[in-house]
Amino acid sequence: MTSGSSFGETLLEVRDVSERLGNNQILEKLTFEVKDRIRPGKVTGQLVGLLGPSGVGKTRLLRLIAGLDRPDTGVILGQKSQPMAAGTVGVVFQNYILLRHRTVMGNLVTAGVANGMKRSEAKDKASHLLERFGLADRGSFYPAQLSGGQRQRAAIAQQLVHNKTLLLMDEPFSGLDPIALQEVIRLITEVCHMQELNTIIIVTHDIRAAMLVSDTLLMLGRDRTPEGKVIPGAHIKHAYDMVELGMAWRDDLELDPRFATMEREIVERFRAL
Amino acid sequence: MVPEKLKNVFLPNRMVDRAMMLGLVAFWVAIAFLAWLAVPFETLPRPGEVWHALGSLWWEHGMGPELFTTLRLILHALLLTVIISLALSYATVIPFFRPVVEAASKLRFLGLTGLVVPFTLFTGGGYDLKVAMLTFGMTSFFVTSMAQAVIEIPREQFDHMRVLGASEGRILWEVVIRGTLDKALEVMRQNLAIGWALITMVEGISRAEGGLGAMILNQNKHFKLAEVYAILLVILVVGLVLDYAVGVLTRVLCPYVQMERVRR
Repeated sequence: MTSGSSFGETLLEVRDVSERLGNNQILEKLTFEVKDRIRPGKVTGQLVGLLGPSGVGKTRLLRLIAGLDRPDTGVILGQKSQPMAAGTVGVVFQNYILLRHRTVMGNLVTAGVANGMKRSEAKDKASHLLERFGLADRGSFYPAQLSGGQRQRAAIAQQLVHNKTLLLMDEPFSGLDPIALQEVIRLITEVCHMQELNTIIIVTHDIRAAMLVSDTLLMLGRDRTPEGKVIPGAHIKHAYDMVELGMAWRDDLELDPRFATMEREIVERFRAL
Repeated sequence: MVPEKLKNVFLPNRMVDRAMMLGLVAFWVAIAFLAWLAVPFETLPRPGEVWHALGSLWWEHGMGPELFTTLRLILHALLLTVIISLALSYATVIPFFRPVVEAASKLRFLGLTGLVVPFTLFTGGGYDLKVAMLTFGMTSFFVTSMAQAVIEIPREQFDHMRVLGASEGRILWEVVIRGTLDKALEVMRQNLAIGWALITMVEGISRAEGGLGAMILNQNKHFKLAEVYAILLVILVVGLVLDYAVGVLTRVLCPYVQMERVRR
């Protein structure tokens, strides 16, 4: 590859996945895969942005990958071609769900214990994560006492107590001001590159943020008839290898004139999805 | 110049601080007391008469032990109600039990009076009958509210625990039982009020064991209005104390509820 990186093993394979909801075909023969990106001398996780307009089926796909639902047809396989099961994939839901009756520390420890860890081990890991996420002084706080940003960090930390390498995030950029957005992008990038096999899939309709954070961009959309009528059943319409395009792993990405050009192109394509 | 704090008291959708709220409560209590003094009806005893009757009932007619009897009855029935109702409400997560829970909830439309005979036959009467009647009365309402609270738990809460890898048993504990503890306490608070309101009726069924209900019916029979109002006053005050106690218990066991309210 021109970027000096190469691909390793397949970490996620979504093959011919279809899903119906009542009479509505939501997903139709959806196929993509995520492979380990290898950069010599650098720990590099994978960050996939899954873009699509509202109602296209992004959250349905997220639920299927998380193992919360089963597709009508097709397969979703994880590392070493293992089928996905609930509990093996981390999910940060859109509203950053936490157990409201437990403190931040309690939330993280519960996550570890629920996954079979010893309480003491879970507590050690939780303390380490709270430190890393800048929440060390918030361990005894209840979720109701946290700001939006703190709550998001706690929700991400909770998913990392048990060593899950695949993390799904549902609309992590929604409702953020520009400064908070930068902070979330920094945090997601940091979490992603903590371990080589870490893979984060971000489900979003925020094109710019997805471009800034992703090394692979996938656009989920539906076909249209020549008259412009939507044909039900979403699938991957466009895929961008941001690394190959020289548009990933860069702090100065927004200053690159090609970024604006690409953003316009994606916006145009987004309108047709 | 009217202070801003005082102005807020008369404007819609304004917040007032705790001191101001206490002042408002004191104001309305004083108004109620003055209205009582001013009421022209002869059938309503004066505050002094009620106070005198209260002293007489407490020191000469054993009101203290009667109050204890009533409290024992309501707390016994409440304990049974909580156990039965929570078990039924949590069972709604298992489809097999839903019809049973639904049926228990519908029993609230049955009046208690008509059930005296079958309940007497089941329990043999006396104290057990009163506990059974109160438990029945409270359970049907408790189950209705609590089962609804369980049904209204958002699906995301269950999904969240599933993606954490929790077993269904742990999900039941964290999401259904621990997650709705504050609601269970709130429903208990409401049902304690329902049970307390039923107390005179239930204690009237079998007066042998005494209690405030039996006492008030005896005073009614002799048309001793000051005594009746004195007992009613005690019932009201004790009811408010019980209600406050459950509120304190909720604040201790579920401190996050207060934080969520402040946030809202």
